[in-house]
Amino acid sequence: MIRTEDIHKHFGALHVLRGITLEVTRGDVLVIIGPSGSGKSTFLRCINLLVRPDEGRVFIDGVQVNRADIRPEWVRQQVGMVFQSFNLFTHLTALENVALGPIRVKKAPRDEAETKARQLLARVGLAAKEQSYPAELSGGQQQRVAIARALAMDPKAMLFDEPTSALDPEYIREVLDVMANLAHEGMTMIVVTHEMGFASSVASRIVFMDGGIILEEGRPLDIFEHPKNERTRAFVSKILR
Amino acid sequence: MFRSVESVLGILIIIGAGAVVYDVLAGSRGLDLGYFQANWLRYARAVQVNLLATSIAFVVGMGIGFLVGWARSTRTQPIRKILSDFHQAKVQGTARGRSALAVTIAVAGVRHYLRRIADGYVEAIRGTPLFVQIIFAYAVATTFYPRLAGVEFFAGVVALTINTGAYQGETFRAGLQTVHTGQVEAARALGLSRWGAMRHVVLPQALRLVVPPLTNEYIGLFKASALLYFISVFEITFLSKQEAYQGHPFESFAMITGIFLLITVTIARVVQYFEARFRIPGLGIEPARD
Repeated sequence: MIRTEDIHKHFGALHVLRGITLEVTRGDVLVIIGPSGSGKSTFLRCINLLVRPDEGRVFIDGVQVNRADIRPEWVRQQVGMVFQSFNLFTHLTALENVALGPIRVKKAPRDEAETKARQLLARVGLAAKEQSYPAELSGGQQQRVAIARALAMDPKAMLFDEPTSALDPEYIREVLDVMANLAHEGMTMIVVTHEMGFASSVASRIVFMDGGIILEEGRPLDIFEHPKNERTRAFVSKILR
Repeated sequence: MFRSVESVLGILIIIGAGAVVYDVLAGSRGLDLGYFQANWLRYARAVQVNLLATSIAFVVGMGIGFLVGWARSTRTQPIRKILSDFHQAKVQGTARGRSALAVTIAVAGVRHYLRRIADGYVEAIRGTPLFVQIIFAYAVATTFYPRLAGVEFFAGVVALTINTGAYQGETFRAGLQTVHTGQVEAARALGLSRWGAMRHVVLPQALRLVVPPLTNEYIGLFKASALLYFISVFEITFLSKQEAYQGHPFESFAMITGIFLLITVTIARVVQYFEARFRIPGLGIEPARD
């Protein structure tokens, strides 16, 4: 479904990604953990080409997408993304936020897009909030709208960049529940998160990244209970405490 | 409760001060009320010249200001950065790599110089008096078109346009830069193009943000249009001065003050009403509270 081969990225003198090779099959939920600055967010952005990899290849459904003859806009329609800081469009209501992509990118008729947006808002438990502006919603509600917005494009996979890190503790649960439901429905997901409860119950695999490389990869139980790498062990013991 | 007492007190003080000024200026001979009735139409006609000059300058200046603000809000890349990016992308040896590099450098170069020109324009205009700019424009216009009818009006409008273009440029730059980069990233992540993100996400927010400062700019420009009297544009200040020397100093002063106040306060109130009417929670600053 999503495959990367030897991805490298530099920001100026900084070598952020030093050869990331990964494969995510259909229906997989891959959780990426690692200390800040380890390149997790940059790697996610390389998949939907918000950041262009300097070297290496990104495949989606077997098609190499980081090529000059493939429009990045097309790639981004295949893979939805949810951000740490929600980034809902401030000037639009919840409903308009969700309907914007289908209307402006897919050129769907407005009423059709809005009907679908209503269904998606209901799915994330926010049917009553469709006329609210982002500033009128709690952080948890905003993030759930952001998930609905990404789903509105019918993506083949979803990328989550620390979706609960900016949330007050009382709102984390509701966002993780929506994500868990999505996973159970079979959505292919790559999630950067430090929510270990979510990782151990929902993830099919966990990857530990540090210094721009993958240090360890395995099932949640193996990573959390029996990490092989010294640095994985140190990191896991810090966040599990 | 106290607030209303305070405002009543404030108004009383202003009326009192006005009465003192009136007494000093016109007390001995009284205010000629008939003058207002007989002459208000002449003043109304004259102020139309101010409104026309201001409006033309404001609208044309808005086009200039938007382009300048846009140019100054985009990031430019140093050539060194472009070269190192190409080096890292490992395509520099191929023919396609070479032509792509040439195009990238040409585009970056054009953008770089447009940006510098916009910077210089804004600095030069904001760093010099509007009064000097008006006189300069008039001097240039009369040198090249000494016999052109209405050359003073033309020169005045050009000066006001160039002036407000620079100020509006700063307003638009601030508006565009205030829209968070996360908004653009989210729009691009949905599959919108660069222009699509601008059109559907950045502009609707930025344009709402610039309405209050642009209203102030229009009012400021309207007041500044009084300066055009110096290059003999027959506008309201010109008329007012003429009338003052013909024996109606206080009446003409009262008339011009009243007209300016009426227009500026009306514009501010109308815009405030629409702002409140179309306000979006979380976007821009809260309106003044009572």
